[in-house]
Amino acid sequence: MLENQKKDVGLYGFTGCNGDQLTIIHSEDKLLDFWQSVHIKSFSLAKSDNDDSDLDIALVEGSISNQEQAEHMKEIRKRSKKLIAIGNCACYGGVQAMELGSKGWDQRFRKVYGDAFFELRTPIESKPIDVFVDVDFYIPGCPINADQFFYCFAHLIQDHVPTIPDHPVCAECRWRENDCLLLKGILCLGPLTASGCNAVCPSHNLPCLGCWGPVEEANVSSEFNLLKEKGLTQEEIKRRFRMHNGSGIIKPLKKILGVL
Amino acid sequence: MREILVEPLARVEGEGGITIRTEGKKVKEVRFDILEGTRLIEALVVGKTPEEDVSITCRICAICTLSHRYAALRGLEKALGIQVPPKVQWMRSLMHLGECLESHSLHAYILALPDFFGYPSVIPMLDQYNEEVTGALTLKKFANRVMEVTSGRMIHGENPTVGGFGRYPDREVLQQLKQEAKELLPFAEKGVKLFADLDIPSFFEQETVFMCCEPDEKEYGLVGDYIRISTGEVVPVEQYQKLTNERFVSHSAAKHCLYKKRPYTVGALARMNNLGDRLKGKAGMLFKKYWNERWLRNPVFNNLAQAIEIVWGLEQIPMVVDHIIKIKEDPEIVKPTQRKGDGVGAVEAPRGTLYHHYQIKEGLVADANFVIPTGQNLEDCEKYMRNAVEKLLTEAVDDDAIRLQCEIIVRAYDPCISCSTHLVTIECEDE
Repeated sequence: MLENQKKDVGLYGFTGCNGDQLTIIHSEDKLLDFWQSVHIKSFSLAKSDNDDSDLDIALVEGSISNQEQAEHMKEIRKRSKKLIAIGNCACYGGVQAMELGSKGWDQRFRKVYGDAFFELRTPIESKPIDVFVDVDFYIPGCPINADQFFYCFAHLIQDHVPTIPDHPVCAECRWRENDCLLLKGILCLGPLTASGCNAVCPSHNLPCLGCWGPVEEANVSSEFNLLKEKGLTQEEIKRRFRMHNGSGIIKPLKKILGVL
Repeated sequence: MREILVEPLARVEGEGGITIRTEGKKVKEVRFDILEGTRLIEALVVGKTPEEDVSITCRICAICTLSHRYAALRGLEKALGIQVPPKVQWMRSLMHLGECLESHSLHAYILALPDFFGYPSVIPMLDQYNEEVTGALTLKKFANRVMEVTSGRMIHGENPTVGGFGRYPDREVLQQLKQEAKELLPFAEKGVKLFADLDIPSFFEQETVFMCCEPDEKEYGLVGDYIRISTGEVVPVEQYQKLTNERFVSHSAAKHCLYKKRPYTVGALARMNNLGDRLKGKAGMLFKKYWNERWLRNPVFNNLAQAIEIVWGLEQIPMVVDHIIKIKEDPEIVKPTQRKGDGVGAVEAPRGTLYHHYQIKEGLVADANFVIPTGQNLEDCEKYMRNAVEKLLTEAVDDDAIRLQCEIIVRAYDPCISCSTHLVTIECEDE
């Protein structure tokens, strides 16, 4: 790409494990192309000379868990033409948002930090970024899949909108000819979960835990009832549904259970 | 009053900063600020099954995902009365070595090295240091592959589970890892020289205490049920609260740790200082060649300690692979023998000793405590920065020079700030 056509890109990490930015850094062969195909204005995990200039694309990892991050998020939005959420924490809030919509955050905070006073930050319950700003595109995953990310990125830097598959993990599981764990009575979240991981857990004889967040077409109540028929309790099913799905599962679960 | 700030602190994992306040030639305050948001993981795992717990706690950190998983598995399996067979243990050793190499090659070469050569990142170093940078990337790629083969995914692989593994890798894949490890050794050895030749200033040096796991086999290693302290004491991991004495400070979402009211250091440097004379092979030769008493006083040698540990890790992998291949049968996942219990698991994460402590009731997590390496290093890290600033103030240097020196010290500790905010309230016992 010509130098003057290159997009200005910034990468930002809020609350999370940094696994999505790290997935990019771990893509050794593609990392240099990634770096050279755009102007990387900010990428604090990888470099020191970062600036806060206007951006064509901001890639944001992590959830928002204090007021200062919320302000920073809004500030990034203001100077970015496109804002892309990368990874489960930015898209749905991550594991730290598994109780979102229920009470008890104050108690959990006190269990971990006691009555501690935070001098530099004002903590809030962790939420996905779209609670605070408009998001133009979501790239799910925990962590994101490098191939899917670079596919999306290549589209975005040419002003195209990428399309990512909207089928559940079950589809990939069938392509890999795995035995169905649900049929064995194992609590597998494959039918509810966005694909893109190549059904990695079922391919290791382990149930899908839902770490990519919900797939759009999921029939949550049908899976809920199926699991109940298999003998699992409502509490067990709810706990597993909520573990990785953050804000993405609140509505369908409320529809089934009435309250969370 | 003069105030020097570094925020955000770049090329570290997570959100942190440095605050330095001075008046004339006097240091008022030197702080390593942990600004990362709070996640309350240890409260969220309560009421979860052990399998759910490992899927949550590994996500505390993407760099040390397998160390968190391993520490959790060790703690949970003690509480559940599970003893895993040798093949599981060797597979866990392999995954843990993969992570150690991944983290060290990322930290030493890609995050820390640019400081010493005056670059903002590793990418512009490619012109002048092409061999070093591409070599480090190849090494990291291999290490990521080890993690993927053993855990199922480069980051947050779920294959290592309570009681064993979901699936075992093919023999051919393991043989290939063995071969690649051997091929990478010459680069890793050259890397040790690269770090040994760096000019490391001595003006902030001071003695400290070092802690690491004491491996069961009395060899060099990354796992153990005892902690070896440089004072000569060896303490069971169950007494970790006495060793770490966490306390809250207001500029940090991570708690600071003290041992008998003294700051201490964990990580590759601590392991080398406490166990380095047990090293054999090329790593042993390099240790003998480069170790000197300054390692006991200067945290910046941690980069060199990591470079030697990379050599050790590459020498270990073929041996560990042979052990895995020798055991033909893939063991079934071992089931819990009890639904109630207490267990402390400790492993050496790349950046130091990591503790996961669980109480299990009716098969679910009833309580959890995690003590992480970066929290343990915070006090020493601030101590060495303070020493450096005090000295630099007498020389009337500019803010940038102070900033760079402090950043070099902080980065040498290889802080993992995502991890640091996951500490639990522990009643402090003053001794």
